[in-house]
Parts: sequence; C-alpha cells; structure tokens
Amino acid sequence: MSDYAAHRQSGLPVFVRRVLHGGGFWPALPAIVFLVIFLVLPMVTLLAFGFVTIERGRIVGETLTLQHLQSALQDTLIWRLTWRSFYVAVISTVLSLILAYPVAYLFSQTKGIWRMLILVAVISPLLTSALVRAYAWLVILGGRRGLLNQTLLNLGLIDQPLRLLNTDWAVIIGMTQIHLPFMFLPLLAVLSGRDRRLEEASRNLGAGQVRTFFSVVVPMSIPAIFAGLALVFAVSYTNFIVPQLLGGGSYATLAVQVYEQTVVVLDWTRGAVLATILLSSCFVFVYLIVAAGSRFSRWTERTS
Amino acid sequence: MTTVRSSPSTPGPAPSARLVDGIGMAAFVLITGFSLLLLVAPSLIVIAVSFEPRAYISFPPSGFSLKWYQSVFENRQLMDSVQVSLTVSFWVALLCLALGVPAAFASVRGTFPAKSGLNAFLLAPQMMPGMVIGIATLFFGAYVAFRASNTMLILALSVFCLPFVIRITMARLADLDPRLDEASANLGAGKIETFVRVTLPQLGPALLAAAAFTFIEAFDNVTVALFTSDVRGRPLPVELYYLVQNDSTPAIAAISSIEIGLSFLVMLVLARTVGLERLGSPSIKPDKT
Amino acid sequence: MSHILLEGIVKSYGSARILNNCTLSVAKGEVMTLLGPSGCGKTTLLRTLAGFVTPEQGQIVVGGTEISHLAPNRRSVGYVFQNYALFPHLTVADNVAYGLKVRRRPASEITERVGHALELVALEGLGGRYPAQLSGGQQQRVAIARVLVLEPEVLLLDEPFNALDAKLRLTMQVELRKLIDRVGITSIFVTHDQSEAMMLSDKVAVMRAGQIEQVATPLDIYDKPVNDYVAGFIGRANVLAVDVRGGIVVPAPQVMTTRGDGPARLIVRPENLAFSDAQTAWPGKVFFASAQGPTIEYEIDTGQMQPLRLVVQRKAGQYPLPNGTAVHVGVVDPAGCIVIGSAAGV
Repeated sequence: MSDYAAHRQSGLPVFVRRVLHGGGFWPALPAIVFLVIFLVLPMVTLLAFGFVTIERGRIVGETLTLQHLQSALQDTLIWRLTWRSFYVAVISTVLSLILAYPVAYLFSQTKGIWRMLILVAVISPLLTSALVRAYAWLVILGGRRGLLNQTLLNLGLIDQPLRLLNTDWAVIIGMTQIHLPFMFLPLLAVLSGRDRRLEEASRNLGAGQVRTFFSVVVPMSIPAIFAGLALVFAVSYTNFIVPQLLGGGSYATLAVQVYEQTVVVLDWTRGAVLATILLSSCFVFVYLIVAAGSRFSRWTERTS
Repeated sequence: MTTVRSSPSTPGPAPSARLVDGIGMAAFVLITGFSLLLLVAPSLIVIAVSFEPRAYISFPPSGFSLKWYQSVFENRQLMDSVQVSLTVSFWVALLCLALGVPAAFASVRGTFPAKSGLNAFLLAPQMMPGMVIGIATLFFGAYVAFRASNTMLILALSVFCLPFVIRITMARLADLDPRLDEASANLGAGKIETFVRVTLPQLGPALLAAAAFTFIEAFDNVTVALFTSDVRGRPLPVELYYLVQNDSTPAIAAISSIEIGLSFLVMLVLARTVGLERLGSPSIKPDKT
Repeated sequence: MSHILLEGIVKSYGSARILNNCTLSVAKGEVMTLLGPSGCGKTTLLRTLAGFVTPEQGQIVVGGTEISHLAPNRRSVGYVFQNYALFPHLTVADNVAYGLKVRRRPASEITERVGHALELVALEGLGGRYPAQLSGGQQQRVAIARVLVLEPEVLLLDEPFNALDAKLRLTMQVELRKLIDRVGITSIFVTHDQSEAMMLSDKVAVMRAGQIEQVATPLDIYDKPVNDYVAGFIGRANVLAVDVRGGIVVPAPQVMTTRGDGPARLIVRPENLAFSDAQTAWPGKVFFASAQGPTIEYEIDTGQMQPLRLVVQRKAGQYPLPNGTAVHVGVVDPAGCIVIGSAAGV
C-alpha cells in the first residue's frame, strides 16, 4: 500500500484557502500590530505634543498650534545647538571613516589569529554599553588626575594639565571610538569579499600600491562607505550621553537639549518640538548622504 | 600581519610610485595602529583601574585589590538594578524572538504584494534613535495614562531591538535552500511540520545569536531606559548613568569590567553560532527611502 | 492505459509563457525522459507534476486520479532534486525516515523500512552519517531512497546526474536504471544530455520553448525525427536544402518521397554520407578534417549555408584528405534519410 493514501484533501473552497494562505503574509501580523501600537502611535503622539500646549501633564486647549515650533525656530540658541550637533557629528563621522577603513582593509588582508583579534577588537565595543565606554574616556581625559594629563605631566611634555574634558574634542573623540564598529561592519563585509584580481590587474598595468588602493579598492567599496557614513552620522547626531558626560554640565547639543527639556525641565511641549526638529533634520542629512552615495556608486546599477 | 603582497613580475611600478608607496605604507601602519589602540585601550584601562586599592582613580593602579568588586556585590541598590535589568532583558529577548522570527519568515518567504513595503516598515525602528523611541513611548504612555515602568521599558526596548532579530533571522533564512521545503512537502509534510522539522533546526544558531545580541542590547541600553524605566526599580544602565555623572569611584570601573566580561561571553556565543563576520554582512544600514 | 497523464498544461510567468499546452502520457512502469535545452520548460513541467508549480490550465492525472488541485504534500509523487536537497541537519537514516515520521508510522516499522530502503540503494551501514559526509553518488542514492521508502506512484528526477563528475555519471546512470527496473516504478527524468536520455529511457519527449516536439523511443527519435530541431538535438544531423521533383529528391535521386514537388529539406546523419564518384551528389571541397581514431570527420563546403558533415570509417594508416580536395558526397542508405518541408512552411 502506498503511504500517500493516508492523506485526504482539505474540503475548503479555493478562495478561502487563498485568503488563509495570504501569500505567507500572516506571520508578520503580530510584529506589525506591535509596531503600530508601540512605535507608530507613540511617534504620532510625539509629533502631536509639539503642536499642543501642555501644562502639568494635561493638554490645555483644543486646537493645534504652530506657536511652539515657531518659537523654537526663532530661538538662536536652538540654531547654535543644531549647528554644534551637526559639526560634531560630521567630524566624528569623517574620523570614523579614516580610522575604520585601514583596519577593515588590514582585516581583509590577514588570516588566522590576527584576523580574529582584529574582529574582537572592533566588535567588542559594540557589545559594551556606551556608558561604559564613555566612562573609560572620563578616566582617560578627566581633569588633573586624568590619565592622559598624568602621562604628559610625568613625561615633562607639559607643565600645566591640559583642559581635555568638557571640550568639543573630548566629545568627538569619545563618539568616534564608540561608533567605530558601525563604520567597520559594512566595510568589513565588502572589503573581505572583494575580487583581488582587480588589484592584481591594476598592479600588472603599472600602478603602485597606493595608486591601486585609491583607484581600485576604495571606489569599489563606495556603497559600504556611504552606508557606514549614514549610520555613524545618524547615531552621532542624536547621541546625548556622550556630550553630557564628556562635554560637561554646560555643554549642550540639540540632542542633549531634548533630554534636558523632557526629563529635567519637564517641558514636554518644548521637548516634543525639539525631538521633532532633531529627527527630521537627521533624516534630511542621512538622505543627503545616501543620495550622494548612490550618485557615486552608479556603476552598481544594472541598467542605465 | 603582512599587508605587502608580492609585486608582479610584469612591468613594474613607475619609480615615483615607490616613494608614494612608502609614504602610503607608513601612513597606513600609523593610522591602523592608532585606530586599534583607540578601540582596545579604553576597555583595558577601565579593567586595570578597577583593581585600584585606593578610593580614587589612577593609572597605572597603585596596587591590586578586588575590594571594588566586593563593594559592587555588596551594594544593595546596584544588585537590585542588575536584577531588574536581567529580568527586563529576558522579556525583551523573548518578545523580540516571538514577534521577529515569524515576521522575518513572511518577509523572506512571502509572495504577497507590497513585500518591500513590509520590510521597510519592520526595519523602520532602526532608523529611530533610542532617545526618540524612549520619549515617544513616554509621551504616548502619559496620553493613555500608562506610567513609566518596567513593562513600558520592556515594550520600548522591544521596539528598539526588534530589527536586530528580524535582520539576523532574515539573513539566515535567505541562506536556506528553499528546495529543502519543497523536498519536505514532497515527502508529505505540511507547512507547520516543515517549519518545525526542517526550518527551525537550521535556524537554531541564528536564533541563539539573535537572542544573545538582543539580550545584551537591552541590558546595556541607556537611551531608551532613561525615559521609560521605573523611578524606583531602575535598571542597571540608568543607575550607572547617574553614578557616572556624580561620582568617579573605581567601583564604576569594577561594574564596567564586569560588563566588558559579559560582552565577551556574548561575543563567544556569537562567534560559535553565526560567526562574528556575519554580523556585518546583512549590513546595518538605513534603507533608501 | 496511461499511468501519468498531463493534458494541455499552460504556465506563464508574467508575459513569458513557460509551458504552452503540454500534453504527455506515460505508461505504467515506463521510464520517460524530458529532453531539451535549459529554459525550455522541462523542469517546470516536472515541478507541475509534483505540485510546486500551479499551472493556469490543464489536467494532471496520476493512476486514474486527477491531482491538479492537491497540495504538494498530498501527492503520491516522489521527487529527486537536482542537488538532492537532503536535510543537512538530519542523518542519512533520519532523512530516509522523514516521510514515514511525518506520516506517524510506528518506530519499529520506520526502522525496518528505512533499513530496506538503504539496502536497496546499497547504503547499509551509512545510516548514521550526515549528508555532508557523503560523496555525491551516495547523496544521490540517499535522495532516491528517501522517496522510494514511501512507495510513491511515480518517481520524478530533475537532472539527477548533474552534480556528479563525468566518470561517476556513467556508472550511476546504469545503476539507477537497474534500480528502477527492480522496483518497477513509473519514472520521469529531466535532462539536457541526449546520451543520458538515450541510455536511461524507454521513451524520450523532446521539448522546445515550452512545447513538446516529439515523443518516441530513443531509437525512433534518432531514426525518424519529426523536424530538424529534434534531429539536431538527438545526435548530429545535416539539414540540406533540396528540391522534390516527381517524388524524387534532387540532387540525391536514390531518396524518394511522397511529398509534392517544390523545395524541401533533407535530414541526413553524418554516418549516412560517403564520398562518391557519381554526379548525382553534392560537389564540394574538404574544408576541415579531424581524425578521431576509428573514424574521420569531415566538413565539406558545398556552397550551402552550413558545411556538410560526414563521418567515414578509418583504416589503419589512413590519413584524412587534405583541405581543399575536391570531392563528391552522396547518400549511403536512402531509407535513413528524412524529407521535411522547407523552412518557410510545411
């Protein structure tokens, strides 16, 4: 007897079965519902809070108003903070690229234990809390007893301790180190999987190593570079922990201001407006980076 | 650790290229060395500092003592916060797996229209800074009269972490041979039975990795937690945040060292299961929108 | 009566029609091969039979039962995949036991039947290994045992020898054919390799662009191809433009045809041509020659679009004629020639 006889066909009409099957859509439903309730609705609330007046945790007045957004946009402080957020993020992002690229390249050229060690060095920060890493920089840069000042004083290179903490550069250095893995990961994938014969072809055609690196290796990794740039910019631009800890009490960026208004000052309307400005400006910048990236990587498109 | 490759025997580089190559090589070594130092040194310094016997930080430490570790374990408030964080992370990992794995399935294997739209939506939270997710959840909670609490923290962190699970699962699913499913069907198994017998066992390591990654993300996260956690039963990152802001005792170094150790443990799990390199391949990048 | 009947199968992806009204019938115990170049729809037709592809039109009948609407897991059709699709996380024994476990058979029965199946494909003792630890040939045998253990009505094999190296392929082809004869199961192969089709099958269905061109025994297809496409796909063939005048083909008057007067085409196998002195043949020049040991192959330029190919037996010490030698080529056996309509129409 054949084993196939054991089954009988289900009696449901075809269209019912087709809806039940849904092209395999149904498993995504719980996640969609979850995200709608706990991401979309909160985001709508956040946006809406910027256009209503809230006093003592209650919404006052029935109508939406542009007043809060207007006053925020007329505030020169907000513009200054946005500018600082921007240049700190830009410098940190560029530094990440400069620092991550050679490491990713080295990684792609090595084998065995060294490869593993580089990988661990790069990924471990990703798995340690940003707080722990920021704290490490406090230890290194902090005040008179900061590690760097101690070392420099002991070596006699300086007479007075340098003011390292509470500066733009402290924030930039801290951010760069913390976000380096985000730049590294996309580069790693592309550089490790690249076709080495292209470099051999370049060398064979007479180009030196440096020339080959900049004319062949770097252009081929443009998509990964821009993916990394976009990601690192976004996380740097919206980071408020590092500026707070390494920038000191009087140092603020737009992201820090959002935190202060929401948690310390408890001005939720202001917090919502600033968060909206932060998020939308971040999207604009990221979009510009991504757009630039696709312009520089037109060779990856299949058809013109 | 050689990066120099044997030069081709055919036409050599122009003489000027030699000099450029030399400078380039030197710059490469310098930047790489600095970069690796920047990555590794802070963690090593923190670990070293944690063994400081005195009450303030110095480097190198003036001696060796485990007293700050002892103080951490004796600190009731800290230990409570660890407890909170462990509980929260556990539920976040569980919730993310329960929601993310089926969603990844639909998004890789589905044939319905608007599949790319679904993908963009499912991965949307990774475009959102933690702070924005935290504040939005806080505001929404206030609006529907739901107070900041561990439950809110779990939900907000799950939103934050869901894309990690979906991405790791999607990457593995895309690697699986769809013919195995056809083979299973051909041998008489229904859809659910095929999932349990064929897909799930092959997905196992990826799911473990996703769970470990999510757990550590939830355990470490401060940007979401600052806004949504309970005022009384604070999770560890929030506790630590206030501690770092106001104090600089080596006790913080001790906690940090423990966290670094924990992250190495997770890394070991990841290395053994999906392989560390694969973390980069489903590249963590924002979608073009 | 046919055991498998595919009738009027139509399948399109977007605007591309992959299967265009395919009809095929396979008798019980027969081994059928679907032969065609890649992209001709042969694998799609096989997948339709297994239920992985749902056709827009047409009927599929296996053993007298219409199965078109059945889900893949409810069809009594065993499918051997091109790269075998063995479950990598299951041992050989568990792979073979899979279908029985799905059917909730008692453990003792499963053990016994798996043992028999492994014995059938000569893999006793390898039940504990994982697929990755097996050679390509062994993997193929596991894939076959995995479906045969369920005693399906029909066995489908999608390019089963593709993953094997050339030497192993020959042995496995013979082994597989013997196995199928022992089990006596109705089988359909898919292949693009004509020698494989000749060796394995009772009948060959030649496909082109989603259509079945001819179904016949391998030798009938070789001897009596219905058109130049089939003739070219099975073995090599010369297709020559000729004229029919009063039932006689010009310029090869030995060949007779019932076709009316007018232009036509003559299909002649290379071994059915020879050098001749007669004026009633094609004059030409040696254009290219290669000696293959037992035979010599010539390409003769006769002024037509394609050079004539002919194969002659070689005697010891004989060398090919030099290029440029003027020769006449004539038909050896008129019965081995086929006259078909000219390219423009039938």
